[in-house]
Parts: sequence; structure tokens; C-alpha cells
Amino acid sequence: MKKVGVFVCHCGTNIAQTVNCEQLAEAAKTLPGVAYSTEYKYMCSDPGQTMIKKAIEEHNLDRVVVAACSPRMHEATFRKCVNGAGLNPYLLEIANIREQCSWVHSDKTKATAKAEDLIRMAVAKALKNEKLTPSVIPIHKRALVIGGGIAGIQAALDIADTGYQVDLVEREPSIGGKMAQIDKTFPTMDCSACILTPKMVDAAQHPNITIIAYSEVEKVEGYVGNFDVTIRRKATCVDPVKCTGCGLCSQKCPSKTDSEFECNMSQRPAIYSPFPQAIPNKPVIDQEACRYFKTGKCKICQKICASDAVNFEDQDELVTIRYGAIVVATGYSLYDYNQYGEYGYGQYPDVISGLDFERLVNASGPTMGKIKRPSDGQEPKTVVFIKCVGSRDANRGHDYCSRACCMYTAKHATMVRDKIKDSQAVVFYMDIRTPGKNYEEFYLRAVEEYGVTYVRGRVSRIYMESGNLIVQGEDTILGTQILVVADMVVLATAMEAQPDAAEFARKIGITFDQNNFFNEAHPKLRPVETFSAGIYLAGACQGPKDIPDSVAQAGAAAAKVVALLSKDEMATEPIVAEVNTNHCSGCGFCVPVCPYKAISLKTLTERVHGSVAWGPAGKEITRQVAEVNKGLCQGCGACTVNCRSGALDLLGFTNEQILAEVDSL
Amino acid sequence: MNENVIQVSGKSEISQIMREIARDLLQQKTVSLVIGWEKGILPNKSAPAFITQSHDTDKLVFDEYCYHNLTKYLLQRKGSGLKTAIFVKGCDSRSLVGLVQDNQVPREDICIIGISCPGLMEERNTVIPAKKCETCYTSIPVEYDFLIDCPDTKTGDDEPGGSFAHRELSKVENMTLDQRDTYWQTMFQGCIRCYACRNVCPVCSCKECCFDLTSPDWVGKGNNTSDNSFYHLVRAMHVAGRCVSCGECERVCPINLPVMLLNSKLSLSIEELFDEPPASMNLDDTATLSQFKPEDPEEFM
Repeated sequence: MKKVGVFVCHCGTNIAQTVNCEQLAEAAKTLPGVAYSTEYKYMCSDPGQTMIKKAIEEHNLDRVVVAACSPRMHEATFRKCVNGAGLNPYLLEIANIREQCSWVHSDKTKATAKAEDLIRMAVAKALKNEKLTPSVIPIHKRALVIGGGIAGIQAALDIADTGYQVDLVEREPSIGGKMAQIDKTFPTMDCSACILTPKMVDAAQHPNITIIAYSEVEKVEGYVGNFDVTIRRKATCVDPVKCTGCGLCSQKCPSKTDSEFECNMSQRPAIYSPFPQAIPNKPVIDQEACRYFKTGKCKICQKICASDAVNFEDQDELVTIRYGAIVVATGYSLYDYNQYGEYGYGQYPDVISGLDFERLVNASGPTMGKIKRPSDGQEPKTVVFIKCVGSRDANRGHDYCSRACCMYTAKHATMVRDKIKDSQAVVFYMDIRTPGKNYEEFYLRAVEEYGVTYVRGRVSRIYMESGNLIVQGEDTILGTQILVVADMVVLATAMEAQPDAAEFARKIGITFDQNNFFNEAHPKLRPVETFSAGIYLAGACQGPKDIPDSVAQAGAAAAKVVALLSKDEMATEPIVAEVNTNHCSGCGFCVPVCPYKAISLKTLTERVHGSVAWGPAGKEITRQVAEVNKGLCQGCGACTVNCRSGALDLLGFTNEQILAEVDSL
Repeated sequence: MNENVIQVSGKSEISQIMREIARDLLQQKTVSLVIGWEKGILPNKSAPAFITQSHDTDKLVFDEYCYHNLTKYLLQRKGSGLKTAIFVKGCDSRSLVGLVQDNQVPREDICIIGISCPGLMEERNTVIPAKKCETCYTSIPVEYDFLIDCPDTKTGDDEPGGSFAHRELSKVENMTLDQRDTYWQTMFQGCIRCYACRNVCPVCSCKECCFDLTSPDWVGKGNNTSDNSFYHLVRAMHVAGRCVSCGECERVCPINLPVMLLNSKLSLSIEELFDEPPASMNLDDTATLSQFKPEDPEEFM
């Protein structure tokens, strides 16, 4: 005979003010299987937990129902509590009478009646609860960081410093990411390269870090502690061992193409390193731009190379490496402002993006740091900045705020005023958002010390008139239309997810939101974890972020990785799917629906009875059945609802348990 | 010209070719069993035939009374590795493709002998053409190793609204909510839960059917309107996206209930919603509801 104890929590007045807890505890006594029932002001407190433990011992309880807050909040607490009294933690059941009852209702009688139903269901389920025990999986002590921007570099350094091996995969020829393109960083105006390149060098020289540049993650198999990752090393056509990085090949290369690093404002050769401080500092051949690959003739770089490092026969190479943990730091891309018709669909050369501006003010950029407008190379005197281009604009861009634009626009406007004599900087804004340490002061300095003009309002149109850009907008504070004759316009374009973010997320088995940013497991309490155990997030791939936030998140992700790798093995959550092979017909429909690739088919051999002479009666047959990898399974239950014969069941939430709950209603 | 396609001049020649192919396969021990049709005990009925000896092959016939979709018999040899030859009409071939797609029958174990189908007669009224032939998508089998190609083939009326299923569906769809409720209640009330529709269905290939399980007890085992409705609705959902409209469920129903109607509705809805061809028309396809495509519509999310 199973004996259930019911413990009703008041949660101070959170529950008690809309639900009659004493009445609940009384009513619970009459439920089948309930041997003991009581209520208390704070069940999660020390006296509350002691009360539960004492009751288990005194009344020989073998099932416990706690009617309190959401299981997300305190299920772990109470599992630990009943375990302390010698019960298997999975014999505990939570009835959520706070979030799902007292907080959302006001009528005390009705709320109490509903809470009684919730408890009745929990008791019915608890009676069907079985003991569950975690299994143990080994941890492979090597980490993978995907993406070599500032977040990836920081995460790799932090993990490597604790003594674990880290591979840093970057798809471009050099690590550094967007930060390498930026000129100065707010709010301190440090030179971006000056603070980034030492970190890049640290990563390159760190004995525990292997940089795998010009490579992409092709496939991720396995599970926490044991990911088997296939990485495609793209053909560089340059032997990294022989190459000395002298750069002669790049100087002599006759094929030129737009430089991505310089935002297409200057040209680069086909055999190239993206920028002077690139790491690894070995060039690669861009096969699409290379004259030899296009025409079959040239090979100048090969002839000129003193160390014979150029190899046109180089092929992509696939390598598979096992990792215990993965940090995803794949960064962001920028909104394409050509979709804004009123800003000229990108046809005015002097309407540029913020990142273009970074290259224009950078000493190693296409204009050697002198601000010259792209159309005629003249120094612009009046520069207009427009914020929220693609951000906070549900119609053409994204609903969200890109977070960094207010600050970098203030930075850009300051730089215009600082670098160009007699210049004017006009910023059109919707709001000023400066929620960071010293951010507001930085913005005020732009206005007060540098005399940047801030106009609150949207720009409705940019057009050309007698060779000048006319910016037409509204000043919503004065309530008037204004026209600004501008020499150059800089658009603060939105940060958005990488164009291939969704495809990448599916490849490695993590989830993403409506904007294709990767989902954290909990927005507040698990901000760097994903729903896939062992995969963590750092930087703007999770949502728009500035450099300080990216670095902080990278450190947090590294701490999680290190905590995982520091163990030799880990216990797995026992709430996983289980196959009843007697019922499984091997149709395999569960295999593609599993988001964690945890299900595969295996072959069984068995002796069968049969009713027909021409069947295999009395003989052995082989048949396929589903098999769940308990390390990979996250207990989502997608397979169980897809299984027609109910051969798959989620332990802790079995079909029988759910039906018992429904039937008790 | 494929040597495995045997041209016949009319449907009367089909049976003779069937016997020859079956005899060769059994004599050469390519297969150990041929599943086909033989003359039944009643004049207007043909019955399934299971032939293991080459001298028995003369029993085989093909006529307009070969209603039976034989493919489900293959499940009785599942996992044995035994080679089987099976005769299929166009509609049957789709359910065989479905069984291969559902991982129930290895394609390499089956020798498929297709018959391009001249059309069947109604089983209970043997002078009118079978209702199900009106919804026929393909009279020529979609998958075969041998094909007995008969010029008299007849494919269904592909004009929307032309076929029996379309007509019957639009009749139900045009009813008021109350009328429709009465229509279904009457149907489910009439059901005797003999499970013949499930047992004959080539798509119902589960090792253990959820309606037979006692733990958990998904559906009450009693015969009442509520549990009967639940049975039919669950079965419709379980075959959705895989039903090939072979019509066997409706043929075997002892009460003559329009069992196929729910399935037809779901098939048409799936074709419309996902813009996918009908189920199991091609061995390389995956059943619509058993696959995931990033570009799938997500209006409900």
C-alpha cells in the first residue's frame, strides 16, 4: 500500500491570500492513497523541510506531494529534501498552486477548488511515480570554441588558462571578428586593435589553444562530455608550416577584389591576409578571385614564394575531433540598409553604415584615418547620424533594440567633431539608451563638450539636390520639419543574427528565437547555457551585445565549461525517454523528430511464433527497434507523442502517469 | 524497353502471364512464396492465394474481383529474410511503398510484380465499378520488378469534386454543425469495434496496436459512441499522411460505414497544407508528417 504525504505551502501570502490552504490540507486527507497532510507558511524554509522529513519518518510515507510554487522554482529543493529522508527524489511530485493558481485568480472559493483539483492530479500521478536513478557518462577533457571574435577568443583564453585544451574554430582566415574592424571603443576611447591584438597573440601563443582558422563546423554528433565534431578545413592553398608570412605573394598578386575587412571600400589581392595583425598571419587564396583558378594561368605567387608554400592542389579536409564541451560564439551580422527606400536603397555613396565609418576613421583603413566621403574623397563638414536603422522597426527590420548603437553613434559624432575642423554632427534619435557604466557620461560629453546636435525624431527621407544630400526629418520636440544639408550620412544599422544562424543551430542541435538569435536556457538564471547540455553561448550570437558584455559572457561560459571538464564523469538526468522493445515496430519515425539526435535504430534477434505455414514460425528473426541514448536525451518527449503504439515513454512523465492525472479530474 | 515489362493485349491475358512469372520465380528459387489471387468459392469473388510450389501457380488469376490488397500479408514474414513475390495493383503498390518507407519490409526481400490495373467492380454489387477506383491516383504500379502492362488501365477521375470521396466529403462539409454532429454520431454509434478496418489496413503496421494495450488504457474497450469515436479519430490521425486510399477499410466493414471518409479528408488537407504529393507515390519520399523541413509552414507556432 502506497502512502502519500501532502504538504501545502502558503508561500507567505502569495498562495494563502487567494487559496484556503487549511481547507486544502483537510481535503487532501480524503484522497485515495493519502496518509498524511499538513500546511505551513514556508515549506521551502528550513523548518518546512524538516517538517517534511519528520513526517516521512513518522508516517512511513513513500510518496510526497508538495503543493507550492512552480517546479522550476523549487522541485530541486524538495527532491533534495525527500532524498535526505531516504526517499528516491523522483517519488516527489509538485502541485503548482502558485503560478498556475493563486497568482492568476482572485476569487478565493474558485481558486481553492482549482487548487484541490491540482493536488488531486498530483496525488494520482505520485501514486504512479517510480524510483529513477541517474546514470553516469564520462567527460572528454577538451573544449571547442566556435567563432574567433572577441567573445570566442576570451572564452578560449579563460578555459585554456585553467589547463584544459581548447580548439578555436574561425571561418575567416584570421581570428579577431568584428572588433578587429572597429577603430575606437566606447566609453574609454581605447584603440580597438590595441586592446584586441594582444589577446589574439595570447591565444595564438597559448600552449593549450589550437587555432583552427579558415574552417567551419560541419557536423556535431554525440552528447555532453562526448561531442564528435567534424570540422571542414577549407583549402588555403598555402602550406602553413612552410609559409613565413613575408607577404610578398600578396604584394605581387595581380588579381584584386573588394576587401570584406574594409567594407568593400578598398581592394585586396586574391592571396591575402585580411589585415596586418591577422592571426594566423599566413595568407590564403580566395579561389573565387584568383586568376589561376579562374583562367588556369598566373601562378605568380607560387613562383615568387621563396619557401615554396603555395600549393594549388590543396583540397578541403574534414577532421573529426572529440570534445567534452562547446562554446558557441559565432557573432552577428549587420542589417542591410539597402531595404530602406527613403534612405536611397543604398544608391547614394555617401550614405554609409556605422561599420563603414569605423574603417574610414581607422588609421589603417582605406583613407588612412582621414575622414573622407566615399563619393569624391572630400572631407565632409556636416555629418548626419541616423539611429535605429533596422532596430525597433517592426515593419522593415527588427522589433528589438540593438543596444550598442546609441553609444557608438555618440562615439562617431565625437570623432567627427574632434577630427574635422568646423564640422557639424547631427544625430537623429528615437531615445538615448545608455545603460552601462560611464555610458551616460560619455553621451553627455558628446553633447556638452563636443557640441554634437541631437534631434529627437525619425528621418523621413534622404534625397539629392544639386549634388548635396538633403536629410529631411522631424524634430518631435520642437514639432517642426527640418532639413539638413549633409555631406555624409552614417546609419546605425541593427545587429542581427548571422544569415546562416538557423541552419547552424540545427546542425549542432541548439534552439533559436524568432530573430534567429540562439536561445539561452533561462533568460535570467541560465544565461550562457543552451537547452543542449554541454553547449554554451558567448557574445552576440545570443542577442545584440557590446564588447564589455560579450567579454563578460565569454568568461561566464568558460566558467561553465571548466566546471564541466573538471569532473571525470557526470550524472545524467534520469527523466529520459525509454523504449518498450516489445511494442516498438521499428518504423523509425522517432528518429527524425528527436531534436537532440538521441534516437537510433538497433537490430534485435528473437524467436517468433507464427500462425501461417509460410511464415518464420518457430525460427529466429531480426527486427529493428528504437534505442535512446540516455546521454543525449533531454527528456523533451517529442518522440513519445510521435509513437503510435506508445512504445516510447518518458520516464517521470509516462503515458500512464499523465492518464492517471487526467482520469483523476 | 525494359525487359521486365510484359505487354499484354487485353486483361484476359493477365492471368496467364502471372502464372508464368510466378512459376519461374519459384522454380529458380528466387522466392519461397508468391502472394497473389485465386478464384474464390463464390463466382464473383477472388481470394488471396499463397503459393509455395511451382506446380500450384496455375491457380493464380486476375480479374475485376481481386479486391484484396495483399501487401499486409508481408508483415507475417517480417524480419525472416525470406524472399517473397507479390502481385500488386496500382493502389496496392503504394501501400507496399508505404511499408518499405515505414521500415517494415526490406525492399530487397520483395519481388514486386505489378499489374497495370483495368479497374475493379464493387464487392457487394458486382456489376458497378468500385467506388475506390474513382479516387485512384495511379493504375500503373509506382514500384515494381516486373510489370504486366495492360492497355485497358483506368485511372480515377482527377477533376476536383469528381470522385466519390470528394462528393461524399463536400456533402458532409456542407452540412450544418448539428447535422454533421448527427452524421458522425450515427456512424460511430453503428460501429461494432470489430477492428476489421484496422486489421486490414496496410498502413496499420504497429507491432502492438495502441487500442489493444491495457497499460496505459488509452481507449475504453467497451462498445459505446464515446469510445468508438475516439477509436476512429485516433486511427485517422495515426494513418494521416500515410493512407494510400486503397479502400480496404471500407470494403471490409461489416456495417458498411464510410470509414474512409475521415482518412480522405486528412489526405486532401495534407496535400493542400504542405503542397506534397499523395502519400507513398515514390519510394524515395518520406511521409509528409514524418519529416522535418526548415521551410515547413509554421503558422501554428
